[in-house]
Amino acid sequence: MLINRITKTLLTLVMAWCAHSAMAADPVRIGALYPLSGQVAKSGEDTLNGIRLAIDIVNNRIPDLQLPFATGEGLPGLGNAKIELIAADHQGSPEIGAAEAERLIVQRKVAALIGAFHSSVAATSSQVAERLGVPYISGESEATNLTARGFKWFFRTTPTTRTQVRDFFLFLRDINKGSPNPIRTFAVVNENTLWGKEFSQSVQSYAAEFPEFKEVLNITYQQGTPDVSSEVQRLIAAKPDVVMHASYDAEAILFARTYKQYNFVPRGIMAIGAAFGSGAFRNALGPDANYFLVRDHWSRDLGAKMPVVAQVAKRYRDRYGRDMDGTAARAFTAMMTLADAINRAGSTDPGKIRDALAATNLPADKLIMPWNGIKFDQTGQNTLTSAIFIQIQNREPKMVWPADKATVPVVWPRPAWQK
Amino acid sequence: MSEQLLLQLILSGLGMGFIFALVAIGLTLIYGVMDVVNFAHGEFLMIAMYASYLSYRTWGLDPLVTLPFIAVAMFIFGVFVYYVLIRRVMGAKMNAQVFASFGLMVFLQALAQFVMGADYFAIPNSLLSGVVNIGSVILPVPQLAAIVGSSIATALLYWLVFRTRTGRTLRAAAQDRQAAATLGINVDLMYALAWGIGAACVGVAGSLLSNFYSVFPRVGAIFVLLAYVVVALGGFGSIHGALVAGILIGLLQVFAGFFISSELKFVPVYLLYLLVVLVRPRGLFGRI
Amino acid sequence: MASPERRILLGTVLAVLLAAALLIAPAGLAERPFELRMLTMLFLYAVLAHGWNILGGYAGQTSLGHGLFFGVGAYVSTLLVIKLGLSPWLGVVAAAVTAAALGVLIGIPCFRLKGHYFVIATLVVAESAYQLFGGWDWVGGAIGLQLPIGQEGLRNFQFHRDKVAYYYIALAMLVLVTTAVWFMQRSRFGFILRAIRDDEEAVRSLGFSTLYYKLAAMALSAGLVGICGVFYAQYVLFIDPHSVLSLSLSVLMALIVILGGAGTVAGPILGAAILLPLSEYSRVIFSGSGRNVDLLIYGLMIMVIAVYRPDGLMSLFSSPGWTRLARRMGLLPAVPPSRTNADQWKDN
Repeated sequence: MLINRITKTLLTLVMAWCAHSAMAADPVRIGALYPLSGQVAKSGEDTLNGIRLAIDIVNNRIPDLQLPFATGEGLPGLGNAKIELIAADHQGSPEIGAAEAERLIVQRKVAALIGAFHSSVAATSSQVAERLGVPYISGESEATNLTARGFKWFFRTTPTTRTQVRDFFLFLRDINKGSPNPIRTFAVVNENTLWGKEFSQSVQSYAAEFPEFKEVLNITYQQGTPDVSSEVQRLIAAKPDVVMHASYDAEAILFARTYKQYNFVPRGIMAIGAAFGSGAFRNALGPDANYFLVRDHWSRDLGAKMPVVAQVAKRYRDRYGRDMDGTAARAFTAMMTLADAINRAGSTDPGKIRDALAATNLPADKLIMPWNGIKFDQTGQNTLTSAIFIQIQNREPKMVWPADKATVPVVWPRPAWQK
Repeated sequence: MSEQLLLQLILSGLGMGFIFALVAIGLTLIYGVMDVVNFAHGEFLMIAMYASYLSYRTWGLDPLVTLPFIAVAMFIFGVFVYYVLIRRVMGAKMNAQVFASFGLMVFLQALAQFVMGADYFAIPNSLLSGVVNIGSVILPVPQLAAIVGSSIATALLYWLVFRTRTGRTLRAAAQDRQAAATLGINVDLMYALAWGIGAACVGVAGSLLSNFYSVFPRVGAIFVLLAYVVVALGGFGSIHGALVAGILIGLLQVFAGFFISSELKFVPVYLLYLLVVLVRPRGLFGRI
Repeated sequence: MASPERRILLGTVLAVLLAAALLIAPAGLAERPFELRMLTMLFLYAVLAHGWNILGGYAGQTSLGHGLFFGVGAYVSTLLVIKLGLSPWLGVVAAAVTAAALGVLIGIPCFRLKGHYFVIATLVVAESAYQLFGGWDWVGGAIGLQLPIGQEGLRNFQFHRDKVAYYYIALAMLVLVTTAVWFMQRSRFGFILRAIRDDEEAVRSLGFSTLYYKLAAMALSAGLVGICGVFYAQYVLFIDPHSVLSLSLSVLMALIVILGGAGTVAGPILGAAILLPLSEYSRVIFSGSGRNVDLLIYGLMIMVIAVYRPDGLMSLFSSPGWTRLARRMGLLPAVPPSRTNADQWKDN
């Protein structure tokens, strides 16, 4: 009878479903905290996409990608369990970040947290994780003090602002080698929020280690200023050999334009952060964008020598329609590090994941970053990072430093502004 | 400190000052005529800048070319905003008026981000780029254009308000709404006109600004607070007051930025404002 | 139509039920920190709104810079805790006094301004403070201040494992402040404030020093908002100019009151009860698109309220029966503001 047939079919379906569930292990839930609304929503989304891409690679079979977990489905150490991402928007507010961290841990029962883009939000949300005993990994929050709090559950793969500043001086030393007219003086121009201020403080902290360079001027400007004429006039009066910048998009463009207007040509302009190499900057300035130097974490150019980089960058572009940048690449790497740790832990127990993270030792060839590997010191900071400098040449960013990674020679000193 | 440096600072300050003034003139006109502050004024500026940028991107038109069209378009927009929103709160409590234009501000900012995203856009190489060399002192062309543009706009506005019949009618409606109404003046129309002209002025400012400043959803906020200070300092409703105050503020921030601190270069501006408020609440030049 | 007596009975029963629900709510929200936090924030914002309402609603002086007092309160208390190791409860007192004093100091010049002029002055003052604090390294500058994690308990005003204590403290604050406001607006002081709001010239012509009353309202208002700042600092354990001195906070305070009904006792609470869940849930629902849909709705809502319900949602209860009842219960002013002949000619 019809009823019999329907019942049988249903029963079969139910059994098949049970069988399938028994085969696949429960997914591992990871919480991600990023700014997904407001001014930096785009960057937040791009960064989160880096994480999504990493999870996609872990969860699915990608035969010719030479990255951990790519050739299989899921995490072998947990019975091929897949990773499930639960994203939350913190809107750039430390308070909301903390609240969302708590919600993800207590209500959504995530095994670990990843975040947070803004260092101030990483501070409060990781505090929640520390209190509740859940591992927290950050791939892109750079404030130095995040790893100076004596936390046991906080891990960071990206270099701190202070570490990044050292590369500026290393670069200058390289430039000075064998030069008849070495660089002696520099000026620092930074915006006045946490990131910019930390940059200028970090620069000052290296005075003893690099005594051959002297800071002649430090300009802290107000973020969102309508005009930088007085700032540029101060720079012209101080006559530094080199200018070091920590600026966001709008002021990067404004400064560059004002430099040209007042014909300010130091021997080099070096910047931290993405603004001076970004598409917006290059589009706005045209040929005037050339010769700016940016200390970056990652570049698509790396794909020439590291095939995984090209493959991952292409995947990112195909899926999300935008080019991967250094921040997304770092978030990708942090997620892969976390996946590796969970795999070694063989369980979703937070304590075991934490111990596995502390024991992490990923070699350079398992990463898409130009780093020497991933290994955390006792404060939870990755100590094997390294930098690249890119220079805009012919309106495109090109790797110029260190020498073993450079694709083109650096143009130094800056030529005069084009008419 | 050399003479050349002094001259350079003055010129830079003047350039920015005229821009501040131009942004503020529309604001002061609206207030002068109808006692209403347009808290969405910064967003009018933003819209004009987006319009200028988009015309460039879509049709390759230089901002100088699209300037008159943007002025007209903003005029229409200002009138539209008046009829759809402001008119309904003209008889209401001050709170209602404040929040009507404040809500408009939030809405327009969010709309800009919704439609255009949060990215920064800038126009490379417009007609008004480059510099003018006056001896050894440099004046960027966009700032020069702002000086010229503001002066023309102020003069035009003056002529309109004080030398034409429409202007007289406008002033009558501003002075005494009831009396003007009894004389057969269409006060409503005058108010709409004030909004239109005010919007057109800030539209010109936006068009000039787009030559050298990036446009993004929050760009209005950067200029509008300064515009309020300019208007309050110069005197609500005073056109020449806005001009003088704008120039003053432009000079002050350049000198403060050079000699005191870049980070706090606007604090002397705010202090000056508070001082004037304390001593002379009506501002430097009072009403129209 | 139900008789007034039956309405009062109904109202009282509802009130008691609501009170009971609020008191036992945390038990049911043990595994839901999101809702617990939202309610705690709701109470805090309601108290903030009460504070703003004293100056903006009752005295009629619209300030869009009140975030300054919130920030000052948070900073004063936090600095005392960090630099001198004092108890946050002492910080509460210091915050209230400092904020009130600052309010009076600002009020003396600014109250000479009227209407929109005053609004702009408050904006300028708040913006200057924001920039000053950002550039002042002794108070942490842009980096902000982190409160030391102490042993949890009432003594240190810190609770880590369980946020329920914050909930009850906020609820207690709300009850206390609401009661105080209720008494204030029935008193002579409250009456004079409302008179100043409606016709300052008239009040002055009767021989009152309107400046004195406005300053008093400002002191009360600022002090209360300052205390809320301390609560926030102890709740999040981290403050920086962006989180405690921002314009959006100033606007939110005013918006809550305007939405609920300025110059009423229930208005601030009603406004907070609607706005907080709205913004929290819209963030959770709309987030991830980066399209700012929630702000779009916000802006529209503000405009609609300004045009159609400038007296706030409390005006929905404006039918004669409700109005009489509300007057009897003291929720609305006992005597309606009188309108003289001259008022017909004023545009306000």
